Amino acid sequence: MTNLAPPSRFADGLLAGLPIVLGYFPIAFAFGVAATGQGLSGWETFGLSLIIYAGAAQFLALALVTSGAPVLVAAFTLVAMNLRHVLYGPALMKRAGAGAGRRHAWAWAFGLTDEVFGAALGQLARGRRFSEPFMFGLGLAAYSSWLSGTALGAYAGGGALAGWPVLEAALGFMLPALFLALLLSILSRAQLPVIAVAAGATVLVTLLWSGTAGILAGMVAGALAGVLGIGGRDAA
Amino acid sequence: MRLEILTLALIVGGFTWAFRFFPTRADLSALPQGGALSRFLAATGPAAIATLFTASAIPFVQGGMPVPLAMGTVAVLAVFAVTRSVVGATMAGSVGYGLGVWLI
Repeated sequence: MTNLAPPSRFADGLLAGLPIVLGYFPIAFAFGVAATGQGLSGWETFGLSLIIYAGAAQFLALALVTSGAPVLVAAFTLVAMNLRHVLYGPALMKRAGAGAGRRHAWAWAFGLTDEVFGAALGQLARGRRFSEPFMFGLGLAAYSSWLSGTALGAYAGGGALAGWPVLEAALGFMLPALFLALLLSILSRAQLPVIAVAAGATVLVTLLWSGTAGILAGMVAGALAGVLGIGGRDAA
Repeated sequence: MRLEILTLALIVGGFTWAFRFFPTRADLSALPQGGALSRFLAATGPAAIATLFTASAIPFVQGGMPVPLAMGTVAVLAVFAVTRSVVGATMAGSVGYGLGVWLI
């Protein structure tokens, strides 16, 4: 695929990261509040966000740590939960096209979270040209928001939002709202079967087994629907 | 920082970085256009985003508050349809949901 768009700059990445900044901050804030509320120190809370940088895994880490699970059991439960990330790199680089730079991928790929992957893919689908500075900008915006939200939440301490139930509810809906908006940004008629299969498999496996299994099942089932050409060869 | 928390963070963080980085090194140039693996990778993006939306929405559906959920969802759809802005749609969804909670 030939892309005649100008090279994307670091600043373009920062700007494209704005929805993630808005989505991440309240969630990270909620994580900081929850972690300190469950007995972690401010530095431990911040350290989890700094080193792991994977929201769902961090919330599960809290549950595992406070339930007294052995470190290795907890660690490999969380590793299994993050296994889905292996799909993102090849999917992104394929969309970026032949010759896309990846010399500094060891650094920007640290920030290749679910939302950063979704936003990058959305930008490429809308004609944006892949570049490593763009990925650094996108990743840095998201990471900064995640860290600052965590720090503020940890500083505010457990129960900080208890007196603001409407605000707490509104902030809690940021993540599904962000994913829905990202989904709309890449939506095309040809992709509807893939999306329907992924959503159906997620619901089914989540209800029958677990949320983590549901996420893996949804992604794999949707991608397989693309392989099988459900909805036409262009469904992917 | 307790040693067990640091150990946990380093193991999970290390594996997560590896999951995110090493697959970007895969050489995809030899993949035949329209081949099975090529289609699998192309479908991964929409499938992943659809999955993550569904997974994040399930607790809200199970929460038994259909009015805020409907208001939040409609707000995202409406604002995106008008503005094509992911930022605006995300914010509108959050405000719509909060408004729904406030109303009930």
